[in-house]
Amino acid sequence: MILGERVRPNVDLNFLGTAIVIACIGCLLVYSATYYGDPALGIFKKQILWMAIGLALMITFMVVDYHVLFDVAPILYGIGNLLLVYLLVWGKVTANVKSWIHIGGFQFQPSEFMKIFTALMLARYFDSNDRAYLDARSFLVAMGIIGLPVGLIIIQPDFGTAATFFPLFAVALFFGGVRARVWIAMILIALISIPAGYFFFLKPYQRERIMIFLNPERDPLGSGYQVTQAKIAIGSGGIHGKGFKHGTQAKLEFLPARHTDFIFAVLGEEWGFIGVVVVLGLYLFLVVQALSFAKHARDRGGTFLVISLISFIIFHVMINVSMQIGILPTTGIPLPLISYGGSSTMMFFIAIGLILNVDMRRFVNAP
Amino acid sequence: MRVYRDDQKFLQFRINAVMWGIVAAFVFLAGSFWFVQGVQAEKYRGLSEANAMRQIQIPAKRGLIMDRHGKILADNQPAYSLEIDRVVMKPLAKADPARKAKLVAFLSTVLGTPVPELTARYDKEAKEVPFTRPFPIAEDLTMSQVASLQAESIAFPEINVVPVQRRNYPYATMAAHVLGFIGEVGEKELKQNNELAQGDLIGKRGVELMYDQYLRGRGGAEYWEYDADGRRLSEYIPARKQPVPGDNIYLTLDFELQRRAEQYFAENEMVGAAVALDPKSGEVLAMVSSPAFNPNVYSKRFSPDVWKTITSNPFKIELNRAIQGLYSPGSVFKIVMGMAGLSEGVVSPGTEFGCGGSAVFFGRRFRCYKREGHGTVNLARAIKVSCDIYFYNVGARLGVDKIAEYAHKLSFGEISHIDLDGERPGIVPSTAWATNKQHRKWYPSETISVAIGQGPLIVTPLQVANMLAAVANGGKVFQPHVVRYVDRVQPNGEYKRFRVPSRVIHEVTLAPNALQSVREGLWKVVNEEGGTGGNARIDGLDISGKTGTVQVIAQHGWVKTEGLPFRYKDHAWFASFAPLNNPQMVVVVFIEHGGHGGTDAAPLAKLLYEARFRDQVTGARLDLSNPQTLEQIKEGELPLPTTR
Repeated sequence: MILGERVRPNVDLNFLGTAIVIACIGCLLVYSATYYGDPALGIFKKQILWMAIGLALMITFMVVDYHVLFDVAPILYGIGNLLLVYLLVWGKVTANVKSWIHIGGFQFQPSEFMKIFTALMLARYFDSNDRAYLDARSFLVAMGIIGLPVGLIIIQPDFGTAATFFPLFAVALFFGGVRARVWIAMILIALISIPAGYFFFLKPYQRERIMIFLNPERDPLGSGYQVTQAKIAIGSGGIHGKGFKHGTQAKLEFLPARHTDFIFAVLGEEWGFIGVVVVLGLYLFLVVQALSFAKHARDRGGTFLVISLISFIIFHVMINVSMQIGILPTTGIPLPLISYGGSSTMMFFIAIGLILNVDMRRFVNAP
Repeated sequence: MRVYRDDQKFLQFRINAVMWGIVAAFVFLAGSFWFVQGVQAEKYRGLSEANAMRQIQIPAKRGLIMDRHGKILADNQPAYSLEIDRVVMKPLAKADPARKAKLVAFLSTVLGTPVPELTARYDKEAKEVPFTRPFPIAEDLTMSQVASLQAESIAFPEINVVPVQRRNYPYATMAAHVLGFIGEVGEKELKQNNELAQGDLIGKRGVELMYDQYLRGRGGAEYWEYDADGRRLSEYIPARKQPVPGDNIYLTLDFELQRRAEQYFAENEMVGAAVALDPKSGEVLAMVSSPAFNPNVYSKRFSPDVWKTITSNPFKIELNRAIQGLYSPGSVFKIVMGMAGLSEGVVSPGTEFGCGGSAVFFGRRFRCYKREGHGTVNLARAIKVSCDIYFYNVGARLGVDKIAEYAHKLSFGEISHIDLDGERPGIVPSTAWATNKQHRKWYPSETISVAIGQGPLIVTPLQVANMLAAVANGGKVFQPHVVRYVDRVQPNGEYKRFRVPSRVIHEVTLAPNALQSVREGLWKVVNEEGGTGGNARIDGLDISGKTGTVQVIAQHGWVKTEGLPFRYKDHAWFASFAPLNNPQMVVVVFIEHGGHGGTDAAPLAKLLYEARFRDQVTGARLDLSNPQTLEQIKEGELPLPTTR
């Protein structure tokens, strides 16, 4: 049966509530960030719509037993890969990259949904593989499951999105279990391939970004400019912030991408250090809760599903928040549930739904 | 139930390890933000409040539009606009609540615009334009206004006098329908193209619209430091982004031909269209639609009154009659009939029919325009005297579907995809058309009307020109185009030239004897005694053509139209090409309610041929020792005398 033995009101309301509070804070920030540049509030209204669709998807992915999803995972995973192949062959190039599918007036990135499908596929695989360490065969299978979509996305060529699959590799290796000598071998290979990749595979603009990260003065108004402006915005917010809708840096268009990748800087400016700590605290709560769900999951597949999904959220939060003040280089990675954007909002709500799904069905001996 | 092996504990351990790692990372992040927001807050607050960098957009210079020889038909003129910057104004308005009223009063005295009008515009613009962007309040300032405004720039720092480039068409209405006009970007265009921003000026019609992405160029930006009071301090030069000017466009139009044609329409106060085509390439040498609008009007902000005078003009001045006007082709269609009849073999060049002024087809009597009849006529003579009876017979033998087949092949009933907007396809009737579009049966007697270019058949002047070009060149229908070159400026300052290619859209197989007989008839129309197009004759140049006169109202019996009011007068056509043996130019003239093809339309064709073949007509010789002339001839360009 699709719903499992019995659906009881086992939903962890703290976890669900936290996710919704974060998304609501996101909507307020999008409102504040676009209020002056977009008086018609088109972006804000769209974000509300994305949130509503996201909630509906979340409930869907919560209600359907994740074991049923494991059963259909190969189909979803297959369809997702076909969509990626479709994009490569017939996709329209938007901003140098073939990563969008256009349906009517809307467009979406299959690669976002592919993250969910790949996580499902990986969890399904680990459900039936319960060794403490990966042997050579299962190592290759796990890498293959993740590597196929990543390869297709790299050809698009959308390195930024491909990089967001990194947490899955980390989950597979760290939680799947790899012996010390394999770790050493992998680190050696990485050390050799990174410089090779830098010179042979990266596009000139991507190389430029790395150079700017290492030396921000290289481009005071490019990505370096973004970080400088974001830092001025955040720093000038101080402890208490300038108040809702009162951020001057963001409002005056000094701050680029202020409703998408740099929305955290709007938070920092308007709500100050207090706002930053509150939002980071909410994220940390989500993460700690999810990890405890993972520990108590009914089976190994559930554990891996939760870990994989929360790893996406951890990765996005860490990278996005770090780049606001220049700890990491500027990349186009959105802040989960807060940044404006349809595909990513939906993707993260689905992730929340699936995590709750595993938690709801944690009792082995459900009456 | 699955039973775990000893790895379960191991997994728990790893999860706990990761959790503590993440807690540590979050603490580190919070600490970093504390450093920026707590420890260094004063520094950043200073940076944010003292000097801030603002981006000032610099619009790109729009590309020029020139005729085929480089005569400028559209350029840019420097002008001054007045803008208000609310970012600068905000602190001032906080200190003085009456700031806006004071500002508007001051502007009213300088500009001479009443206060309520200025206030209304202020409020409207302030609502539409984002707060951070200055909005316009007045355009086309005079030099004395600029001087008085700049004199007060200390008292009113929120006003900016901005030099702008105003699109200018030096010859006003000339080639207006081809050039088109520009206007402010609309909601829909903004949504479709994310390169555009609110307030941008883009092409709205004609070449300005169709080639907008070339003409537009790419805007640049300057970065200026502002102090806390919103005063502009200094520019941050290293960041300046130079605008990239738009591409220059060379039209295929020939200024001299265009000028003569427009003058003819203007002097005779005629409504209509004229098209001159190069039958070897589809290049449009002249395209006139009369009366025309003045595109300069659209370059400025205009009031609803001006808009009303444009839209309420009874002659629909925005309509490009050459590609959007749909008219019965009348006798001009007999060229298609001749081609179809001979190519299908229903008549031969020698086939003769007797014309007694009228004849009966499918139980109905049809009249020839000549009451007393033309006697015995073959194809060439039927074309020369435009005998209706002959073509009724051809039409009856072909049937409407064969006629439609040839009409379609020769460009009618479909758009030609000329590089202009709003082209209309017209109608070529057939039995299928009657069933599908009209939901009725096609009556054979209707075929008889179509055979002389009447009935439901409607065409554009451009289609007629395209058809005649195919007759002239032996069966090639080109995709006509009005743009010849696009010149793109390179970083080194030189231009890279892109040529608009010639494309054949249909290739019709026309029987050689059909071509020969029809061309012979067309030659006789102009050059033999008794031909209907004698008014176009030029000694020394073999012009071939066909007149057409189209009844606007159903007439019973034979009526003279000279005395009728304008809107009941006949339409006049003249479609022609020259020279006969090596056709270089097709000219089609259409005069709405103009009377007769021979008397009213043919003289304009003659004027254009005179301009085009002046050297041949006057006997002047081309300077073949000049390499430039040779190059022009090789390129198929007009071999014009250097004295021109």
